[in-house]
Formats: sequence, structure tokens, C-alpha cells
Amino acid sequence: MQMKKPEMLDCDAVMRQLWDYLDGELTPEREAAVRAHLSMCNRCHPQQNFEESFLHALAESRREHSRPDAVKARVMAALRADGFAARERK
Amino acid sequence: MVWNAEPIKRLLRNVVGSRSDARTPDERFRDEALPHMGAVTRYALSLTRDEPDAEDLVQETFLRAFRSWSQFEQGTECRAWLFTICRNTYVRAAHRDQRVEAHPDADLESLAAAAVHSAAQGDGIEDVFTKREVIAAVRRAVDALPEPFREAVVLVDLQEQSYGEAATILDIPKGTVRSRLFRGRRLLQEALIDHARDLGIVGARRDKIAGKGNADEEA
Repeated sequence: MQMKKPEMLDCDAVMRQLWDYLDGELTPEREAAVRAHLSMCNRCHPQQNFEESFLHALAESRREHSRPDAVKARVMAALRADGFAARERK
Repeated sequence: MVWNAEPIKRLLRNVVGSRSDARTPDERFRDEALPHMGAVTRYALSLTRDEPDAEDLVQETFLRAFRSWSQFEQGTECRAWLFTICRNTYVRAAHRDQRVEAHPDADLESLAAAAVHSAAQGDGIEDVFTKREVIAAVRRAVDALPEPFREAVVLVDLQEQSYGEAATILDIPKGTVRSRLFRGRRLLQEALIDHARDLGIVGARRDKIAGKGNADEEA
């Protein structure tokens, strides 16, 4: 049986797909090829770290409502007034 | 006066239920839609940037979702469906112009991001996004993004939606989500690096100094 050769990618191809890779949007085969390249490339690996630190900072900036329970109570009251009839789950 | 048959239809559906699922539609709404209230609240807050406005938007989103629950396709992603309603409600209320054309080239944006990194590397500021002062400025930088880019960044980077889900919510092709997202990220990186330089957290741009012929920069 012939084994399928893993795809070889150059730096340029990896840079074009780095965001897709970090976002989990590549096919499994392509993802494996990008991962293999990143693990051994001194040029691309630092960029991966840089972009990851950026995405982490961005995710951390997400706003949280200061009173989520009050929002829930208000929405539930509005739904009840509109005919919502299911019992609340414990 | 227009006769509204929806409450009676809903009552009938609640009594009858569906054959394959013993739960009433209201119970399914409770089990499938209501658990996403936290996520919808965060998304509404990202859109409105204001708590009272976000509360109004969340309430309106869930009322609309409840009234059109029969149209929700079982088995599809309920959170993305709720985000779609939330976003449409927001756009309608704000009379925002959705016809803004923004189609940057995703491939070029990826390469531009690599250039941002190279410049940061050259300036010795690769850890810029781990600085407390820079992290504190991210939210303001996202708020300042042009709307098409902000929408894509908010959905994918802040609300953890896939490109496909974001495309459904925004009603644009997946490729457009991708290119707007990449442009938005690059604009953010540039704005944050400039901010870090303004604060003196990182060094001034070397090319600017080099342009003035300052030979001491490398010291």
C-alpha cells in the first residue's frame, strides 16, 4: 500500500494561511502540513507566537455585562408576558 | 385591526407537541435557545457598546426568536440563529447602512500581517501584545474599526464564531468574512503598535529615526 506523502509548504504559503490555521478553518491535511512547517521553521514560528499573543489580547477584550442576572430576569419577564409557558429549569 | 393567529397557533403547538419530541415548543425554546442568553448578551454589548442599549437588544432578540421559534430549523446552530436575529435587530434599530462595500483581498491581508510582524521583529517589540497598557487599549481600538471590519472581528475573535457562522449571521459570502476579518486584524495591530509607541512602551519607529540620519539608534 502506498502511503500518502505529507504536503510540503513553503514559508510564503504558510504565511498566507496562518490566520486560517490559527482559526481552525483549514482541512485536516492542510492543517497538519502547516503545523509541520511551523514546528521546524525559525522564520514562521515567531510569527505564529506574535499572532497568537494578538488574538489572545483581542479575546480578552470581550465585554461582559455587569448584571447578567438582571438581564436574564428582564428577558424572562418579557417572554412570560408574551406567552412563554415552559417551567424554568433548575 | 389585523387578526393575529400566532398566539392560538402557539397554544395548539404547545398542547400537541411534535411526534418525535415529547417536549412542547416552549420547552424546546427553553432548552435550546435560553442557554445562549449569556453569549447573546455579550454579542449585543459588543454591538451597542452600552449596557442599557444591550439589554433592550437582548430582550428584543429573544422576543423575536420566541415568536418565530417555529421557523428555527432543528439541528442547526441555535446560537448563530440568535446572533443573526440580534444583529438584524440592531442594524434595523440603528438604521445602519449595510451596503458598505468592503472587499479587501484576504491573501494580501495575510501577507500584510506578516509584514507587520517583520516590522515588529525588526523593532524588537515582538511581545507588544502582552503589554498591560496595550491590552487595555484593545477594546477602544476594536470600537474604532470601520463597521464592516469590526463586525467580522467581533463575531470571530470575540464571540468565537466560525467563518461560516459569521457569514450566515452577516449574510455575506464566507470569503468576504475572511478578507474583512484579516483587514480588521491588521488595522488593529497597526493601531495598537502605534499606541504603544505613543505611550513610549516600545521604541520609536526605526525607519523614522533612520530617515533623520540618526546613527546612534543601534546603540
